[in-house]
Amino acid sequence: MKKKKRSTSSSASASLALAIALTVTASAKQSLETNFRTTGAAVTAAFEPQRQVIQASSAVIYDGLKEIAYGTIITADGYIFTKASEVEDIKKIDIRVDKESYKDAKVVMTDPRWDVALLKIDAIGLTPIVFAPDSELARGTWVIVNGVTSRTNRRVMAGIISADAREIPPEGGTVLGVTLKETKKGLSIEEVSKDSGAEKAGMKKGEILITIAGKPVKEIAALGSIIGEMKVGTSVKVTILRDGKELELDVELFARGDLFREPSRNDQMSGDFSNRRSGFPRIIQHDIYAAGSRTMGGPVLDLEGRAVGMNIARANRAETFAIPVEELRELAEGMVKQARK
Amino acid sequence: MLFSICICLMQYAAAFPVNAKKAPESPADIKAIQDALIAAIPKSQAATVNIDLSEGSGSGVIVSADGLVMTAAHVSSGVGKDVNVVMPDGTKLKAKTLGLDSDTDAALLQITEKLPDGKPFPFVEINKTDDTNLGDWVFSLGHSGGFDKDRGAVSRIGRLVGVANTTIQTDGPLIGGDSGGPLFDMAGRLIGIHSRVGENINGNCHVPIKVFIDQWDRMMKSEFIGEGPFAKKPEKGKGFLGIATRLAEGGIEVTKVGKNSPAEKAGIKEGDLLRTLNGEKLDSREKLQSILAELAAEDKLTFEITRDEKEETLNLKLGER
Repeated sequence: MKKKKRSTSSSASASLALAIALTVTASAKQSLETNFRTTGAAVTAAFEPQRQVIQASSAVIYDGLKEIAYGTIITADGYIFTKASEVEDIKKIDIRVDKESYKDAKVVMTDPRWDVALLKIDAIGLTPIVFAPDSELARGTWVIVNGVTSRTNRRVMAGIISADAREIPPEGGTVLGVTLKETKKGLSIEEVSKDSGAEKAGMKKGEILITIAGKPVKEIAALGSIIGEMKVGTSVKVTILRDGKELELDVELFARGDLFREPSRNDQMSGDFSNRRSGFPRIIQHDIYAAGSRTMGGPVLDLEGRAVGMNIARANRAETFAIPVEELRELAEGMVKQARK
Repeated sequence: MLFSICICLMQYAAAFPVNAKKAPESPADIKAIQDALIAAIPKSQAATVNIDLSEGSGSGVIVSADGLVMTAAHVSSGVGKDVNVVMPDGTKLKAKTLGLDSDTDAALLQITEKLPDGKPFPFVEINKTDDTNLGDWVFSLGHSGGFDKDRGAVSRIGRLVGVANTTIQTDGPLIGGDSGGPLFDMAGRLIGIHSRVGENINGNCHVPIKVFIDQWDRMMKSEFIGEGPFAKKPEKGKGFLGIATRLAEGGIEVTKVGKNSPAEKAGIKEGDLLRTLNGEKLDSREKLQSILAELAAEDKLTFEITRDEKEETLNLKLGER
């Protein structure tokens, strides 16, 4: 969806970057074999029961041969959840569940507030994920996710709940994605940002912005107070003047920071992170870094093998966000019900 | 000798049995790790503070009821510096950096204000026994990316994957802002301080407690130890004040004050007549320069000035150029 590109703002307070160790303890006298490290085979072997759940009830999502995301099996007949912004521009989505491969999955619908897409494949007898009763887990509770995968085998990574559940506000507030100029005629659109809600709604350079959410706007400063408090993924009604006629449009709001990415020092040392990583109503957080943004969309399991959430954003190398099971269950029930109509 | 080693190992195994195994072998082992973490994290979290610096932030951990904090030298970055410490509930307290070891990245600082409720500070126990071993399960805390009250300090699990003289390495992920934060054993005892992010996510470096213990007395006496890469000693003559002056009657007059300069922050204004600096009469611009040439960043200045025909005294600290 959004590519990392030029920016207008960076909201997070700067943090002192740790010095990068170029030679990793060259003088180390002892070093633990890879096999026994936290992500090593000897350790993850202890999570075999949970791995079997991941094997049966998660999906790997492909654009051609490229893995682009993971998924969570919602129903036996092939409804699957994934991270919407990682798949919505893909023309042909292929999916692998367990050892089986499914071609041409359809994006049935998306929920932009949660960045969730409901996919459908032609399948019978899949094993839907089992939801945990709640996501109220103490820090230090084990969670298990799909870490890496081969064509036939999912391999797990384990980590812990590492922060308090909370809302992730939009980085830099929400925006329409237009550059405006105050003119005698009103607020004139000077530029429409690529991949923004304004572009998707068809707003064009030269048009005049008249109202937002029913309120007339004449000054740029007034805009922020109207939409800055609104949620990412929600839509706002705007009226514009196009060719002398007033026209009403629904514009989806994006987080400024997600739309105009200016990588911070922490981003630069983070490796791959999710394009959309802010503006979530509520998340739980864990420390499994796996392989970056393409590992989002899969279930997050507890030791009983039940989903306590679904991975939704790799914020940085030390922080990954998941949709809590309470909201995930509600989304699943609501979206599948609507899809079956 | 042999006997004492045996005792040691037994005590160690008793402390956290899963550490005696190369890898967890059963659901019970996995559960034991979880139980230990859930028990240890709350107390550790209460003592993990954010260190607010003028340029960015780091982490630290309180190790005494009166507010002594262990952190990294590249966070405290100097001796006798004024910094702010942010408690988990957002309470901001004044603190002063004590000594540091620029070779190993160890540093101490002291919180100089009391908690609003006057209670003793929450603190963690230091593991002074040096009984950690390669492969031990550990956990990290830190204010990753800066302070976030709703999130709290971020906790991460890992194993001790490298042990050298003045560095230990773990495979729990760290990021900027974690610097100076604590590394714990499974009993919640402090075993290290975060130093460097590894080039690989799962190879991050920490200063072992042993280094702190070795340099403890010198750091408590606010010594700047070593000439290593983690902190630079302030150099004489490199202090930054941020004013332009001209000679005037009875002193030197400020003609310009630099934006965000130490002078501006101390309230020096254009038109102020600076009469004395640290007790010496300012009878020429060269006099000011010669005094500043003997001082370094963080050194204290006291000006006697005349403003609007009133005499005032201004105190400030030199900044870094």
